Amino acid sequence: MIKRNQPVLLERVNKMRQATNVGEYQEYQGFSGLLKAIEMDKEAILDELDLAHLRGRGGAAFPLGKKWRHLYGAKGDTKYIVCNADEGEPGTFKDKVLLKHDPLSVIEGMVIAGYLFSAKAGYIYMRGEYLGIQKIFQEALDNAEKAGFLGENILGIPGFNYNITIISGAGAYVCGENSALLNSIEGKTGRPRVKPPHLADVGLYLQPTLVNNVESFAGIPVILREGGQAYRDLGTEDGGGTKLICLSGHIKNRGLYEVNLGTSLQDILYSEEYGGGTSTGRPLKFIHFGGQSGPIGAVQNLEDCIYSYEGLWDKDLSIGSGAIVVMDDQVSIVDYLVQVAAFFAHESCGKCTPCRLGTTRILELLTKFNNQTAVVGDLERLEKMLMHVTNLSACGLGQSVANPMKSGLAYFPEEFEAGIREAVTPVKGGLW
Amino acid sequence: MSSLSLSEKEAIILANDSDPQRILNMLIAIQYGSEEGYIDEATAQLVGDHLHLSQARVYEILSFYAILKTEPQAKYVLKICNSTPCLFTGGTMLAEVLETILEVPADEPTPDGLFMYHSIPCIGACDKGPVIKIKDTVFADLTEAKVYQLIDDLQRGCYQEL
Ligand code: SF4
Ligand code: FES
Repeated sequence: MIKRNQPVLLERVNKMRQATNVGEYQEYQGFSGLLKAIEMDKEAILDELDLAHLRGRGGAAFPLGKKWRHLYGAKGDTKYIVCNADEGEPGTFKDKVLLKHDPLSVIEGMVIAGYLFSAKAGYIYMRGEYLGIQKIFQEALDNAEKAGFLGENILGIPGFNYNITIISGAGAYVCGENSALLNSIEGKTGRPRVKPPHLADVGLYLQPTLVNNVESFAGIPVILREGGQAYRDLGTEDGGGTKLICLSGHIKNRGLYEVNLGTSLQDILYSEEYGGGTSTGRPLKFIHFGGQSGPIGAVQNLEDCIYSYEGLWDKDLSIGSGAIVVMDDQVSIVDYLVQVAAFFAHESCGKCTPCRLGTTRILELLTKFNNQTAVVGDLERLEKMLMHVTNLSACGLGQSVANPMKSGLAYFPEEFEAGIREAVTPVKGGLW
Repeated sequence: MSSLSLSEKEAIILANDSDPQRILNMLIAIQYGSEEGYIDEATAQLVGDHLHLSQARVYEILSFYAILKTEPQAKYVLKICNSTPCLFTGGTMLAEVLETILEVPADEPTPDGLFMYHSIPCIGACDKGPVIKIKDTVFADLTEAKVYQLIDDLQRGCYQEL
């Protein structure tokens, strides 16, 4: 039985002496999700996943059950399982903890997927910054194989042959985008593909492919072990389970926490159990949710906010990767957004013009506001540019650049207006 | 640390099964194993030959991924996280202090070839900012004094593994 407010994903993290040890992993219910799965009808596995209502933890929050069903129905004898461990979202360091301190849970989730889809090959694409963790993960893979959970005839089931290979990233944020990640695994440059087709139909080496985040895979064994309903009950109506959150910025207790979806944001920010309030003695001003491409909320508008998918959507916010970056009242929103824009200008892969040039123009415009050299009309130009980059970019990176900017503009318009040099008179008739 | 010999480089390629899927694993391992911290032309050729890839394909990859370098690097490349969580919790101090100590601007090696520093995006240590990363080692929760200490320690060869 799992109860609310009990760590589910981090349970072993705090207990295991050696994270890669299969025997120890099993002492804490490790591999019991897989053992359940192989006794179940495959349709029944999919039903449990639907019931659990786990939303993808990489950021897009797409219902995992639906994604798995799509792949299950996809035509093709060769299906690939891919774990996205390219965590590169500033403010996010959750996958790292699972990969390092509970790698076998991620492996178990991937093996369950391998079983369900009769896949032969799984890949985990791990960011190049986590080289030490790649070694630990490899050790966990080797141990799992020795114990018969990977390799040939897994658990004595004839034909259940499945292996997992670690592929290293090498420093490209855009490879966190699933189709770019697949290109990178194929040994190409990691530029996104044009979609559709859906990766579940045409993915790695043009075969049907499942791509899920580390935290999502780690949740799968829990669902099968405890049942979909029990998992769902940990969260709320619009998303089951617990969520790993990463607190950083001007908050006292920076770090990784596991919370039930549905926890109050005030608790997360101020209770001693979690954030513990401001680290600088200054009042908190705004929060950047879910990574650089996530929206920003003003702390004063979030007093009644519930940290859940629907709770944040209600406030035009989103959970994204689980990053919660908190800034105090000494940080100017424009200054902050300049740095965010610089990040995107740096990480745009350059494949499509609206994103390549647009991110640069956005950065230039924001810099003008920050230096108080913006002129009348620049605000409109900025808004137009944000709209163009959102609508014309080919992949999620370009399409979401405007999220933080737009929410910053909405909550703190006066800080932008203060960046406009009054002396300039508007050009009559307009330029366009 | 000296640079890898030809056979050591080949051993890394073979340990990755000469598998084009793992080209990044190989290139990173070779680069981190070399004192100059970059993939030279002969090495790019070597990798290409083993993987049956053209030199152009290898260079396309070398130029796309930020960790991979095609020019010699200083012995210690100090990478500063400049993403917002770190930058606004003391990160701006790092570049200033390093410029003061090392007396070179970002991206320029010190005359003795020992140090170079530059900014990179998030390295996944956002709860410990400000941070500097050298190869795979992260120096966290830095203060001005700790940066002076770090440079001093590096100069005295305290970190053999780096
Ligand atoms: S939107 Fe940006 S990152 Fe995405 S493909 Fe286009 S240029 Fe590359
Ligand atoms: S933001 Fe600096 S390490 Fe993540």
